[in-house]
Amino acid sequence: MKADYDVVIVGSGPGGATTAKFASEAGLRVLLLDKKQELGAPVQCSGAVSRHALLENEVIISGEFIQEPIYGFAIYHSNGEKIKMDYRLLKPYEYGPEENKVPLGYVVDRRRFDRYLMTQAERQGTEVLLKAEAVDMYVENGKAVLKVRHYNDEMEIRCSVVVAADGLQSQVGKWAGLQTHIKFTELASCLQFVTDGVEADGLLEIITGHEWAPGGYAWVFPKGHGYTEIGLGVICSMTQRNAQQHLDYFLKKSFMKERFKNAKILEVQGGGVPLSHPLRTQYADNLILVGDAARQVNPITGGGIHTALTAGRIAGQFLAGHLQTSNDHSAQSMSQYQDLWMEANGKKMWELYEIKSKIFRMENIEERDLALYKTMSEYFSPNSPFKKI
Amino acid sequence: MAKSEPVLFSISWNACIQCGVCVAICPQEKSFISHFDTIAIDRPCDIACMICENICPVSAIHHTKVSSFIPSLQPEQA
Repeated sequence: MKADYDVVIVGSGPGGATTAKFASEAGLRVLLLDKKQELGAPVQCSGAVSRHALLENEVIISGEFIQEPIYGFAIYHSNGEKIKMDYRLLKPYEYGPEENKVPLGYVVDRRRFDRYLMTQAERQGTEVLLKAEAVDMYVENGKAVLKVRHYNDEMEIRCSVVVAADGLQSQVGKWAGLQTHIKFTELASCLQFVTDGVEADGLLEIITGHEWAPGGYAWVFPKGHGYTEIGLGVICSMTQRNAQQHLDYFLKKSFMKERFKNAKILEVQGGGVPLSHPLRTQYADNLILVGDAARQVNPITGGGIHTALTAGRIAGQFLAGHLQTSNDHSAQSMSQYQDLWMEANGKKMWELYEIKSKIFRMENIEERDLALYKTMSEYFSPNSPFKKI
Repeated sequence: MAKSEPVLFSISWNACIQCGVCVAICPQEKSFISHFDTIAIDRPCDIACMICENICPVSAIHHTKVSSFIPSLQPEQA
């Protein structure tokens, strides 16, 4: 390990590893830290990502991480009414399982996906340290100093810029004094079961409605090898029950209960999804924030892989340009990263946040249910007015 | 509004799924986190807003008022 780096990235999820890959590719000296022993574990994510998201961010699609190809969506109203958008039928010349066609997206195994992305960064020259937890950070003489616990050893690592890609529970931004707190009304509490015995047909199924998932939605996603993941996210200010109780109720009482009657639970997974606006300030002296740490999550769908990959690419390319031409790593110079991100993704995410907020401000539950159902259906339709992020 | 009494949290480790939601929602300005990515259990929480308890997807977080550990603050037994 060197004593000095251009960039040290805290957290090797999709955002951190992509930042590392692009920065290393440009010749920067990059160190990627993760406190885990197995990336992506415990799984806190459904793993759905569009093919477009991978291609746009130069992720070579590999069987190493794909669990199931996805060909479209089925959006359900609270009462069971649904709109099915199967792109195998809507655009049969483009989407399908045949060799000359492609899927619309994939459900990935986050354990393999995160490791794959880290490997791609390593192959570009990134140094990786697992079981390495960042415990504090300060700035001294224009350089960032990161205190790191690696197994039983404590060390200090100097670099020009730290990238906080430490996820939803981000601590690095807090250390820099950034306002990172999420409102109770905007953090979805999520639980999902990987199951056997539940049929699925290559579609992401999204079940809206206050009765099943107040403040969020439930989902049924194919998970490969005949497995299916069934989950939901709820906003706890809108319910007296926890996500586990809501999921139990959804499995036993919803209009899908017959389909679920032979479900065998193979894995229990949970996580939090920020359905908030992106952080207003995603930078500080010698620091930028990427992915969930910056709340760069689609507030309508709760999707965070695409947004993290894109932010990672933007961050890596920004750092490559910046560090090769400037020694000023003050907050003001780091703000250019946020400007680039706002232009590429941020403005659209703010628009989506306004749409989502308007829906959940509705007090009449029937009206709110209908508005969410319509918005979700529009979002995933081939004629969607939304740019996919 | 009356100030909440400080509490000490405990985690039902068998129920905890290490989702990190409790840490993400915690409004403490300084890190209030355990080595297992849950809210801290080795020191009192002065805010005692309980949103970590409320948001836990599997209700794995419980609290005890700090005053209950201090005999002098206990109501006298008849």
